[in-house]
Amino acid sequence: MKPRRSPWFDWMVLPTIVILAFVIGYPIVRTFVLSTQNYKVLSGLPATGVGFSNYQQLYHDPVFWQSLRNTAVYTFGSVVVAVIIGLALALLTEHMAGPWRYIRTVLLTPWAVPLIVVAFLFRYMFDQDSGVVNALLRDLGLIHSNVHWLTSSTWAMPTVMLANIWTAVPFFFLVFTASLTSVPTDVVEAARVDRAGTWSMIGRIKLPYLLGPAMIAVLIMVINNFNDFAKIWAMTQGGPAYSTTTLVVYVYQLAFSSFNMGYASAIGVVWLLLLMIFAVFYVRLLQRASR
Amino acid sequence: MLHPGSLNESKPTRGRTRRSISVLTVAGVLALLAAACGSSSPKSSNSGQGTTPSAQHPVTITFANWADAETATRPGIEATISQFEATHPGIKVVSQPISFTDIGHTLILRQQSGNPPDVAELSGNDTFAVAATGALAPLDSYLKSGVYNAKALSEGTYKGQVVALPWNSNPPGLWYNKTLMTQAGLDPNSPPATITQLMTDLATIKAKEPGVLPLGIDTTNRSFALAVDWPWMKTFGATPFSGSNATANTPQMQAFLGFMQTLAQKGYITANHKIGYYRPLAAQNKVAFVWDQPVLQGVVQSTNHETDAQFFANWGVTTLPTGPAGQASTVDEGHQLVIFNHSAQKKADWEFINWLASDPSAVTGYTIKYESSLPTLANPSPQIQSQINTPILQAFTNKILPTVIQLPYGPNFSSAYTPIMAGVQSAVTSSTSPASIAANIQSGLQNAFK
Repeated sequence: MKPRRSPWFDWMVLPTIVILAFVIGYPIVRTFVLSTQNYKVLSGLPATGVGFSNYQQLYHDPVFWQSLRNTAVYTFGSVVVAVIIGLALALLTEHMAGPWRYIRTVLLTPWAVPLIVVAFLFRYMFDQDSGVVNALLRDLGLIHSNVHWLTSSTWAMPTVMLANIWTAVPFFFLVFTASLTSVPTDVVEAARVDRAGTWSMIGRIKLPYLLGPAMIAVLIMVINNFNDFAKIWAMTQGGPAYSTTTLVVYVYQLAFSSFNMGYASAIGVVWLLLLMIFAVFYVRLLQRASR
Repeated sequence: MLHPGSLNESKPTRGRTRRSISVLTVAGVLALLAAACGSSSPKSSNSGQGTTPSAQHPVTITFANWADAETATRPGIEATISQFEATHPGIKVVSQPISFTDIGHTLILRQQSGNPPDVAELSGNDTFAVAATGALAPLDSYLKSGVYNAKALSEGTYKGQVVALPWNSNPPGLWYNKTLMTQAGLDPNSPPATITQLMTDLATIKAKEPGVLPLGIDTTNRSFALAVDWPWMKTFGATPFSGSNATANTPQMQAFLGFMQTLAQKGYITANHKIGYYRPLAAQNKVAFVWDQPVLQGVVQSTNHETDAQFFANWGVTTLPTGPAGQASTVDEGHQLVIFNHSAQKKADWEFINWLASDPSAVTGYTIKYESSLPTLANPSPQIQSQINTPILQAFTNKILPTVIQLPYGPNFSSAYTPIMAGVQSAVTSSTSPASIAANIQSGLQNAFK
């Protein structure tokens, strides 16, 4: 017998709805309203409605398009590399036993380091004059003059991505390690009996079991990278030029350097819509996984 | 009779949809109400003067500043504040340390949210950006004529009213390391006077002193960097914008960008570093020329503990080398003190900032001792005169300060610095042609001024 429902219980969620409306709903609605206004704080003038002209300006703004490209490169580039390294490490350490199993703990430590510490750590390591990376490469004879890791338009993005990958790898390593334990032993045994080789075992037996968790982990990390501000700002402040300016950095510059709130909000709305696409995929995957 | 619950159970999908719509509607209405209540207008100002502070009616002043956020100046400002409190028993000062880079936008946000400090230390464009929000109290009624240098006062004037009291003068000049010049075979008493001579000297330093950075110049993307780089642009005749007109796509600007590109390509400068990056290098004799403010002396001596005599033997300072435009210039990025309209005790605020900027013990004990910078007094006392009678401060007073120009500070400067400095960074970190970079700066400025 199904329990009787009382409509009164539905109203119990009202406090939560009110809090969510203020904490999440208000900023979203306010951002959208601001995106249709010309509101420059430093002008001293009140906001005036301009319809969709901020969006038209955005369409013709080369910095917006460059920051969108940078966001895509940073987000997906970091995830792809981190997934591959995380998977490789999970497979390599899968059967480690005895004292060797502590290697797994060591591999997880980058995840425990605060993001801002990671940013400064990599900034000092990759400093062109006093960084350990250039010193090491010079000692090994691989370079003859210092590489401008963070101050060259070519190298700044890969260097920032490297810092991001370093922090993301343990997350994927953890997800894959946990997922590997869920691969049924009898399936693995059966494959062994059928004389499946290492690559066949990984490709045909283990990877299919890892696919579901991997998709969810990838989406979490994509959303995480899409919003990443601290690492980029602390390492390069979006420079040199606009070479590491992502959408979130560009919004920050417009909102808190130029105080052009209307235009910054228009970019914020686009950013929100893109994030929502990922969020919808994420929720769908979670729903599918829970069935 | 059907119970609503059983109706839901019989039509689960419709019921769920209806509930979802109700919930979303409630949330949406609440969010819209909240958004409608959100105000974008500045908070009303409080023009009250406040009661006269006394031991019976003590007041507390909140003082936002970066002096207390920097290692080199923290002991000095803390001692100075303590000294003020000791001599003014009715006033207590609560220091709020905020980094130099963050103080401008932090105070604008605090003003917008109705939580500004009473008094703050500002500089350069930050003063005018905060003033543009209507946050700063005019100081004209408090000022007595003849106390402060008229030129320094004019640099704190916004829309005809003095809104910022000049605390010190801090123009950048071209510092040259005499020891390194001598080691490289250059005459330490003949610093470069023209851009051509500068390039020759940089080439010599680069060739003879491989571990030394030839020139330190700020190329970060921030308003301070545009301000201190502006004289370099001007030496090539470039003015990237005027009013709300973008004027960056000119042969003069291309010449400046080409010059910066050459400096970087030849390894004479490093890109994307703040002015403060070069100060520890200067303390280690690792940089030959630096475009920096008088405060360099204080930072160097607090780092390497050189005596004044050793420092003066090692370093000299001169005006910016002249280029095609023919005239040297600089900007006074002096520190200023402001009072917020919001403050309820402006008399006490004024007493504090006026004391900081003019009292001989504060000027000698902090401005000169810790900031190594010049006071802004019209007639400094003999005690102050004797302290600024050093080769460095005399060079700043007699040679560099007369070349100070005023920059177009204000909201447009706040919008302009990102596209301009991004262009400068592009020049020093890529091989993109100066013509193309100038065109990009131009379109970036046009976009920013819309």
